[in-house]
Amino acid sequence: MKNINKLLLLGAIAGLSLSSCKKEYLETRPTDQIDASSVLTTTENAKTALNGIHRSMFMRYNNQGEFGYGTIMLNNETLGEDYVLSGQSNGWWLGFYRWVDHRNSNSGNCEFPWRFFYRIISNSNVLINGVDGASGTVAEKNNIKGQSLAYRAWAYFNLVQLYGIRFDKNTANANPGVPLLLTNTIVGQPRSTVAQVYTQVNADLNAAEALLTTTRADKTNFNVNVVRGLQARVALTQQDWDRAATKAASARSGFTLMTAAQQLEGYNLYDNPEWMWGSRQIDDQTEFFTAYLAYISYNFNSTNIRTNPKCINNTLYNTMAATDVRRPLWVPAPTTTNSITPPGGLRNPFMNQKFKAKDFANSVGDIPNMRVAEMILIEAEARARNGQDGLAAAALFVLMANRVPGSVLSANTGAALLAEIMNSRRVELWGEGFRFLDLKRLDISLDRNGANHNTALALTMNMAAGSLNWQYAIPIAEINANPLVTQNP
Amino acid sequence: MFNFEPLSKGFDFFFYIKTKLHMRKLFLLLMGVVFFACQALAQRTVTGKVTDEKGAPLPKVSVQVKGTNTGTVTKDDGTYSITVPANGKVLLISSVDMATQEIGIGNQNVVNTTLKSVEKALDEVVVTAYGTAQKETFTGSATKISAKEIQNRPLTNVTAALIGTSAGLATTTPNGQPGSTPGVRIRGFGSINASNEPLYVVDGVPLGSALANINMDDVESLSVLKDAATTSLYGSRAANGVIIITTKKGRKGKNNINFKYNRSITSRAIPDYSRVSAEEYYPLMWESYRNSLAYRATNPIPLATASNTASGLTTGQNGIVDLLAYNPFNLPKAQVMLPDGTLNPAAQMIYNRADLNWFDPITRQGARNEYSVNLSGGADKTDYFLSFAYTKEEGYIKRSDFERFNARANINSQIKDWLKVGMNLAFIRSGGNFASTGGSNNIVNPFFFAARMGPIFPVYAYSPTTPGAYFLDANGNRQYDFGNATLPGLPARPAGAYGGRHTIAENELSREFFKRNVFNGRAYAELKLAEGLKFTTNFASDITSRFDVTFQNKIIGDGAPAGRVSKDYQTVTGLTLNQLLNYTKTVKRHSFEALAGHENYRVNEDYLTGTRQGQIVDNNVQLINFTTTTNLSSTEENQTIESYFGNIKYDFGKKLFFTLGGRSDGNSRFDNDVRWGKFWSTSAAWVITKENFMRNSKFINFLKLRSSYGTTGNDAGIGYYSYQTLYDLGRNNGLIPGILQATLGDTSITWEANKQFDIGLEFELFKSRITGSIEYFKRETDNLIFRVPLPLSSGFTSILTNIGSMYNKGVEIALSADVIKKKDFTWNISFNATTFTNQITALPQKEIISGTKKLMVGKSINDYWLRQWYGVDPTDGAALFKAANGLGAGVRINSKGDSVTTDINNAKFDYSGSAIPDWYGGLQTSFQYKNITLSALANWQVGGLTYDDTYAAYMHAGTYGASLHTDMQKRWQKPGDITNIPRMDNAQTSIFGATSSRWLTDASFLNLQNVTLSYDLANNQYLKKAGINTARFFISIENVKMFTKRSGMNPGQSFAGVTSIGYIPARVFNVGVNMNL
Repeated sequence: MKNINKLLLLGAIAGLSLSSCKKEYLETRPTDQIDASSVLTTTENAKTALNGIHRSMFMRYNNQGEFGYGTIMLNNETLGEDYVLSGQSNGWWLGFYRWVDHRNSNSGNCEFPWRFFYRIISNSNVLINGVDGASGTVAEKNNIKGQSLAYRAWAYFNLVQLYGIRFDKNTANANPGVPLLLTNTIVGQPRSTVAQVYTQVNADLNAAEALLTTTRADKTNFNVNVVRGLQARVALTQQDWDRAATKAASARSGFTLMTAAQQLEGYNLYDNPEWMWGSRQIDDQTEFFTAYLAYISYNFNSTNIRTNPKCINNTLYNTMAATDVRRPLWVPAPTTTNSITPPGGLRNPFMNQKFKAKDFANSVGDIPNMRVAEMILIEAEARARNGQDGLAAAALFVLMANRVPGSVLSANTGAALLAEIMNSRRVELWGEGFRFLDLKRLDISLDRNGANHNTALALTMNMAAGSLNWQYAIPIAEINANPLVTQNP
Repeated sequence: MFNFEPLSKGFDFFFYIKTKLHMRKLFLLLMGVVFFACQALAQRTVTGKVTDEKGAPLPKVSVQVKGTNTGTVTKDDGTYSITVPANGKVLLISSVDMATQEIGIGNQNVVNTTLKSVEKALDEVVVTAYGTAQKETFTGSATKISAKEIQNRPLTNVTAALIGTSAGLATTTPNGQPGSTPGVRIRGFGSINASNEPLYVVDGVPLGSALANINMDDVESLSVLKDAATTSLYGSRAANGVIIITTKKGRKGKNNINFKYNRSITSRAIPDYSRVSAEEYYPLMWESYRNSLAYRATNPIPLATASNTASGLTTGQNGIVDLLAYNPFNLPKAQVMLPDGTLNPAAQMIYNRADLNWFDPITRQGARNEYSVNLSGGADKTDYFLSFAYTKEEGYIKRSDFERFNARANINSQIKDWLKVGMNLAFIRSGGNFASTGGSNNIVNPFFFAARMGPIFPVYAYSPTTPGAYFLDANGNRQYDFGNATLPGLPARPAGAYGGRHTIAENELSREFFKRNVFNGRAYAELKLAEGLKFTTNFASDITSRFDVTFQNKIIGDGAPAGRVSKDYQTVTGLTLNQLLNYTKTVKRHSFEALAGHENYRVNEDYLTGTRQGQIVDNNVQLINFTTTTNLSSTEENQTIESYFGNIKYDFGKKLFFTLGGRSDGNSRFDNDVRWGKFWSTSAAWVITKENFMRNSKFINFLKLRSSYGTTGNDAGIGYYSYQTLYDLGRNNGLIPGILQATLGDTSITWEANKQFDIGLEFELFKSRITGSIEYFKRETDNLIFRVPLPLSSGFTSILTNIGSMYNKGVEIALSADVIKKKDFTWNISFNATTFTNQITALPQKEIISGTKKLMVGKSINDYWLRQWYGVDPTDGAALFKAANGLGAGVRINSKGDSVTTDINNAKFDYSGSAIPDWYGGLQTSFQYKNITLSALANWQVGGLTYDDTYAAYMHAGTYGASLHTDMQKRWQKPGDITNIPRMDNAQTSIFGATSSRWLTDASFLNLQNVTLSYDLANNQYLKKAGINTARFFISIENVKMFTKRSGMNPGQSFAGVTSIGYIPARVFNVGVNMNL
């Protein structure tokens, strides 16, 4: 009896453990992530991976100042002379304003653009190199591949402008650009030359142009128009005036400019007819203070905006015609009746009313990545620089007829016309991330003197064209892990 | 799913015992008759004396002939006389509180013996993996801390009891947050990026819940198992050593009620760094501004002009008062600073100085109350231990506290002679508030905020119109000054003083708290299958349901302007089920013991988190009280381990010992092909004093040489799925589903393999007046798991992989001496010291740079790799670094011919010493005079370097608004100044203060961890009247004083040597009483 009891007990206990001896017992999978191998099985899956890239344009990365392309836009603005920081209570972007952070290889701010664009490249490479093997229609594959190529080109184009020496069509452009990874590898690669990077950018854009059509899911996606817009930007940077003008003109075909009323709705609405490409953020994707509009908007209730409203360079503002519909986007002498601030916000002269967060409490908003006005201005600038004043003035008039009611075709020619176009560009694209790149591509010195910049805040009031400081330092994390990459001088 | 039917049957043990008692009476009667008959046949008289360990006679000790009912008790002088029947071979000598002894009579007529107290006897048992061992015969390396050593200390967390107690064990200084757990390292560093924490085993099963849940008063002992032979039975989880926590059990024949009450007050233990005052601050900041204009790279301004501008004398330009925004003096802003850089002598402070202190308003006197009661005892076959405890600890920072209810029942019963069962169940409810101190060096942390705040900014708003008057609200109350111009006319604090943040208001308005329900259950059944053959099965479950709330108010801080709340629910369920077969056999002087086992471990984590913003009504932190969902997510995680293991022990005449053990673990963290790891160990010991040639040694009474070698593994701290390459879900583009690359997996990643050799000599000298050990260990780790930084151009930042090998080798010394051992006065000193070297022996690539460290073959994982600080250029006060490229950027060749640079991108990096100390250890001493005991405990380290990042932050070159160290007074001021502190210059803060060897400081310290004074009262007539057997009253202090190179620095904060501002450790002053009924 005793032994039977023992055996029963032993048997029961042994039975408890049997279920666990199966092989599956040791197979576990995460529930908030999926296996990379499933991405390329169907175009449906590949499409979700492409959507992830769209999202990466405006999501939070590691730190508060890292919110995708919005960060890059603010960097480019802050390094220039048109965007004025009006208070120092909150230190965000002060390091760029002073031309320190992007030259400090240890700085996370110097590192972020590198990490951001290469992450987009890595995600794009998976799709470019693998989507053909997925099951699905050719049209779907072409679309995914075309968009991924556009992303890769756009990312390299940005990287080479930040970390390389400016492209000069009169030289071989044999200076170090950035490592060119067309397939993903964790082995560090050397820097390709600036010329090689541009060659790849153009090749990718041309391939994307061939693969994409005008149709797309929505404006967060690329279509052939946006690709042509990118081609125009690249050509402008490469001083290929004719191509820039042609591509810019074809890019905007089918789009219209916004109305005067739409100007004042706040540049955070993706439905604006003028937007060709933009990011769209919904409420549950808020990242609070980690957002473009948490720094540049006029109404989000953050310390940065309350104490440091972003202002326009007053000399630039004064170039606008008195009847310009864009004038209310900045307020030279703000009062409680002519301007909106978050509760308790400072009202500093020439503060912007251009960018609007969803409300005081919510930094959510859509972000313009490409607008029709920019295409017009590229066309006008390229024609003017190409000596085609008539075509340039005509292009400019398309925009000015909309922005300044009753304006007439410019009678300026030569340098005066070009100055008019460039002023128009600076005003039109204020805050949208172009100024540093414009100064650099045109080899113009930075000059903040004589305007409303606070010397104590900016410290750096001049920067000579061609100075080494126009190149970002290569981030220390890349240098440490990649023996082949060289630091900028 | 588990059927407990066979076990639950056994739990009707009261009925069982009653029946058994009946049987026993009958049995005894019968036996009595039989033995009476035998006695008449042949019997003899044995006499003797029973004494305690100090030689004092023990009265009323029971002396019985084993297997008979013949017995007697000792007289007052400890002597006895007993008639032993012919078949009586063994005397059973027992007394309450004393360990029972069995003595073979042989041919002796006189049997004298010494009884050891139960505590002492328990002390000599080492709890090991799946068993116990006698200390004397133990072949491994372990240190044991018994309940007695820690009973008078006000400790909330078990780990804190380990500090300073054991050779080879290093700990970090416990954080001041009530209930926090200090870090523990045993014998160096087993890993770089995987976990270095030891495995905690509670009552035989690895603990699956937080250590902070354990009631200190339930703990019978802590064993620190160090060598591989001792730990390898825990296989893949034991590479960093094992700490075994055993909870108390009831004792047969002794029913006890024990009551303890502790009351403490707590305060900050480590002072702040020395900071400049408002009057000192203004000139420093003036200089920072002046120099930023005069020394700037483009268009520098002449010094005199810059001085005027800095003083506010240049029209249209900001003066320093504009930049600092706050003028705490009674002068107009252009008169505060004279153009020579001195503060105007007429300047008088208009603020109340108390308002400039941001630390005091969030500080309070902390308090700790602990009540603990336990009831224990046992009948013939069953013992029980029941305990209840309540601890409430209020930190010395407002809104930081910890509260805990504990209950435990530990019941064991020998139900049948072949079946023993037991259950040890603990329920814990705990909770607490955090003052956002979790984020070191984070603006939300009040310690950090208060430390960084410049000395000119008031907590309360001052009127912009009436100097020195408060800015009162509509009700006439003072208002906080948020420093972001929210009140009309008030300035905004500059960036260095965090305009728009107010740690005191945030502390009052926001909330961060947790609630935790924990169940720890251990159950076993032990079956005796045959003589010497035992089957045991253990089932254990640790379940933690944790609920965290972070509420950020809408007035100020990260939650402003909407207010937001996050709620996280997490349930972690760990299940362990094992089956053990144990066989023991003794043949003459040969003893064998064999163990075979199988174990399953599974942990399941369920997690739900939600965040909403837009608070609707005040004082409600439920999600429904917020308008907009900004995050809602859930995950489930699983890990499983399956194991087979066994070991064999052999013992020859209690003199020579051998063990051999092995374990095979399969682990879901690794891919199928590399999932199973095999670990084994062997050890031997030789008790030299059992040899004839040593038996008569006058001064060596115990000497044991032992050695072991074994392998263990490490899988912890690497996540559950690191071999898988994964995309993140939820990277949706608007409403369209999106995924994004997240982690790069290495399918070949596998266990870290730890191999350890250990040899030690244990000794007891002069009748055990001096005891100690000296040990050598060498611990090698292969397949180091490391998060290898990748080129960012790969699209990833790092990959977790096995990279190479390293070793830790060192020597541990432990010594304990009873310096004075008189009847009424004893004085004991214990000392332990450890030295070790850590060296990397193989890496797949030449070097890996990670933070302030660089890994290379031949170097340690904690060797600093830093920019080389050179000094300050006497001509312009610029910070100089050794140049990497002698002709590169920013290079200056100085008068000594050294090539130095002002450009941090061209600074030379080099090895700069190590965070690992030369020696570290502990020191304990205890005096006992009659009923009074005074004891002290310290830990210390000699050598090693601290990277004092906190100091570096105080030594910035002039960030407007940020506080400054008084060392800044020794800065460079004018050409020709010879100093090591560069000029103040607002434009150069990130350059001058860059991470470099400048911030390394000697890390040696002595930390007086605890002092305790206690008074014991026993056999007192008043107590007896009150029904109290014994009472003890005690006073103790934790974190008494830390002696360091720099005031304010905490070199014990982290093993990697980098300081940060977290929750500064707390000093605890405690009074307590412990009564036994």
